Amino acid sequence: MARYAIVMDTRRCIGCHSCTVACKVHNELPTEMVYNPVVSDGPHGTFPNLSMRFLPLICMHCENSPCVDACPTGASIQREDGIVYVEDKKCVGCLSCVMACPYGARYMNHETGAVNKCNLCMDRVDQGLVPHCVATCHQKARIFGDLDDPTSEVNRLINENNGVQLLGELGTEPHIYYIG
Amino acid sequence: MSTDVNLEQEGVEVKKSACYFCHQNCGVLAHVKDNKVLKIEGDPDFPTNQGGLCCRGNIALKHLDHPERVNYPLKRVGKRGEGKWQQIPWDQAIAEIASRLSGIRSRFGAEAVATAGGTQRTDDWARRRFMNLFGSPNGFHNAHLCWIPTFMVETAIYGWCPFDLDLGASRCIVLWGQNPGASGMPEAHHITDLQEKGLKVIVIDPRFTETAAKADLWLPLRPGSDLALALSWLHVIIYEGLWDQQFVDEHCEGFAELVEHVEPFSPEWAAPLTWLTPEQIRAGAHMYATNKPGNIQWGTSVDQIGRPAGATMHARALLRALTGNLDCPGADLLTGPSQDYLTDEELEGNQYLPEEQKAKQIGSDKFKLVSWPGYSKICELTKKTWGKVPTAEWMCEAHPPSVFRAIASGDPYPVKALLISATNPLASYGETDVVLEALRSVEFMVACDYWITPSAMFADYIMPIAGALERPIITNSYGCADFMLTSQRAIQPMYERRNDFNFWRDLGTALGQTDEQWPWKTVEEAYFSAIKPIGYDVESFDEFVERYRFHFPEREYFKYKRQGFATPSGKVELYSSTLKELGLPPLPEYVGPSENEIDHPELAAKFPLVLTTGGGFMPFHHSEHFQVKDLRFLRHSPFMDINPETAVELGIEDGDWVWIETARGRMKQRANLTSGIHPKVIFTQRCWWYPEKDMRDIPLGGQLGGALESNGNILTCTQDDYCDPYSGTWANRGLLCRVYKVEEAELKEVI
Repeated sequence: MARYAIVMDTRRCIGCHSCTVACKVHNELPTEMVYNPVVSDGPHGTFPNLSMRFLPLICMHCENSPCVDACPTGASIQREDGIVYVEDKKCVGCLSCVMACPYGARYMNHETGAVNKCNLCMDRVDQGLVPHCVATCHQKARIFGDLDDPTSEVNRLINENNGVQLLGELGTEPHIYYIG
Repeated sequence: MSTDVNLEQEGVEVKKSACYFCHQNCGVLAHVKDNKVLKIEGDPDFPTNQGGLCCRGNIALKHLDHPERVNYPLKRVGKRGEGKWQQIPWDQAIAEIASRLSGIRSRFGAEAVATAGGTQRTDDWARRRFMNLFGSPNGFHNAHLCWIPTFMVETAIYGWCPFDLDLGASRCIVLWGQNPGASGMPEAHHITDLQEKGLKVIVIDPRFTETAAKADLWLPLRPGSDLALALSWLHVIIYEGLWDQQFVDEHCEGFAELVEHVEPFSPEWAAPLTWLTPEQIRAGAHMYATNKPGNIQWGTSVDQIGRPAGATMHARALLRALTGNLDCPGADLLTGPSQDYLTDEELEGNQYLPEEQKAKQIGSDKFKLVSWPGYSKICELTKKTWGKVPTAEWMCEAHPPSVFRAIASGDPYPVKALLISATNPLASYGETDVVLEALRSVEFMVACDYWITPSAMFADYIMPIAGALERPIITNSYGCADFMLTSQRAIQPMYERRNDFNFWRDLGTALGQTDEQWPWKTVEEAYFSAIKPIGYDVESFDEFVERYRFHFPEREYFKYKRQGFATPSGKVELYSSTLKELGLPPLPEYVGPSENEIDHPELAAKFPLVLTTGGGFMPFHHSEHFQVKDLRFLRHSPFMDINPETAVELGIEDGDWVWIETARGRMKQRANLTSGIHPKVIFTQRCWWYPEKDMRDIPLGGQLGGALESNGNILTCTQDDYCDPYSGTWANRGLLCRVYKVEEAELKEVI
């Protein structure tokens, strides 16, 4: 069984927001819902001694996902391959998962009344394609792959570059890794 | 929810199309059924984008059938600027426009009809052909602001513009006023790849941009002071012994004159002008000159600094020659025009324009290099060496600000009709007030566009133009490259939209231009005639796209050893006889930024900050896309960059609306406090307008789409003495300004 992951290469990300828009357009998200924000980390320092990088954010598809645990109706589901998604019909919009998620990656869809989130474009993944945000990235700053495959590019990048997980101390074991 | 559609269903075809939202034309695969595009994705086999698409590329389907698109010809039925339109058939619009143009030509001469373009996303060789056959020399674009002066200055010095970078083997690239991280995604990823392999990147930019943040060396110069920097690099390279003696001895003329000329321009001289330290200046010159082969990548900035622009391009061009970074592996290549296919120039029909009409081109008496006098001279030289000449559309144009002024004033002669195609001049041309006066006063106006822009509000007719996915495309750097990338229509244009080619051809035909003069009925036919000489075994343009898509000729380095350089001496002319003959300085002479604290202390006392406008920023392109909500959500309002130190002094907090004012006028944007800019420098976003506002002209009770509220061009200057004497390009950058908060009471006017 695969365990899907994305490596975010902050050495390559230039903060162009292509992923943000691709996700929104292809998933027909309402204006206020952004699954893929990219935040500027900087500039830090005093002109002209500065540094800056960009952090693309997304649902972390945690191995130990607090949102799934918090959901009282079973609408939040984790697949065996690690993808966490919401089954709209079962969602009652109680927001428990929104409060439980330490990454702020869940959003109430006011058009449907259900909470929605990135599902790693699982329809595409099931067809052997990569998520839209990965496909559109000019910079190849997002690399999609299988953590269970020891030869995968994601494993190589994580191992060679000391990949880190955001808020790793919470023990959520995100499937999204950052290198840079 | 994923909106992926079933692409396996019967009848779905994959068309090799392209993005059309900037001129990179990234490859797109369009899944099409029954002339409807079901889905698009970046083409992984396209050499530039390799599957990637930027923000804009991703919204192609939103753009294609956006509710605000112009889908049918519209005829003005109310007052000019009132926004009352009647939908009429294409042929009726063509007949009526032809009749009006014919009347103006008989009363005032063909030169009384001018045409304006925007970026290179049009069939503008067809516009040129129309204008040549009609008899008017007064076509123009924002060409002056974007590469064209650079092309012509460099061609004067070494016989072609070395815009084709052989980056794979390069060791150093200078990004001079260029930020591919925001405006050239394919380039950005190639540079990032090569940086991982050791390519050194120097970024010259007043702002700590996306690209600067990843550079090996960032040189944050005072906006508009590029000439001082370029001259001091020449000084360092010569006086610190970094020049390529063999290349200079064998292939250059005028070295002795140059050595003497740059003697005073030491880094110590340049430091107070550029606000860099002598050490920073030396570090840059050494990095470029000692990491060979290397490249200097063009960026629009130098084209936009006004008065010193031409001299800066001139000095920068000499850097390549002194270091021998010309036409050798890894350097900037002089490919020359295509020897294989018909270039744009060969489709333009320049032979049809009579000499006496060329002489009437507005501005060509003042600014000779990118108008008929300089272009003719350059053509003689390139023809002899390359057998072909640069594209006339772009490289040989009327001077835009002078045409706008002529419309309003009748000086030097009456200009009575203005046809604008793919441009919103109120937002994108310099000095908005001058443009506005022209649009309000012109006798007859037509707009070819996707949208009813603030400028199109003044039109008598608006013609609906085919956009992304609806048009075939040849991408070859303004018709001046030796390669080509091609793309096909994914679908036939929707509604009554047509290519602008069809507009110019139909209009020409209605004015008596013949089928012999327009031998192609469709763009595909024209493009097929262009590619035919290459000799591929194809029967149509579409077949070429489907089977081959690209044409890259075999690369030949060191062509100058075989044929010399296309200059009068056959060598690189460090001392340029061509520029001298045009009455321009043969060596780059120092002039200060268009407005600066040293030459203009009284102005600086009133306007103490230095302004730069015009830089690209995602997700918009020039004045486009403000109505596409899937992009606008990223940046709902315009932001200007200001250093926090300066903001505190001025009582400005992050997000505040502020006025930015120059001697021309003022406009408002919101403050983005960032340490990524010098405390004395202000950067404003360009070309803003608000499609959601009342589009009617202001005297009629409207807001003109907010085109006068946050538009960077209200601040820019196009007066002759601010313009570059080489090319006539005007000043968007390196101006003096002041900034202050928008008062509470005034805020009501702000969205």
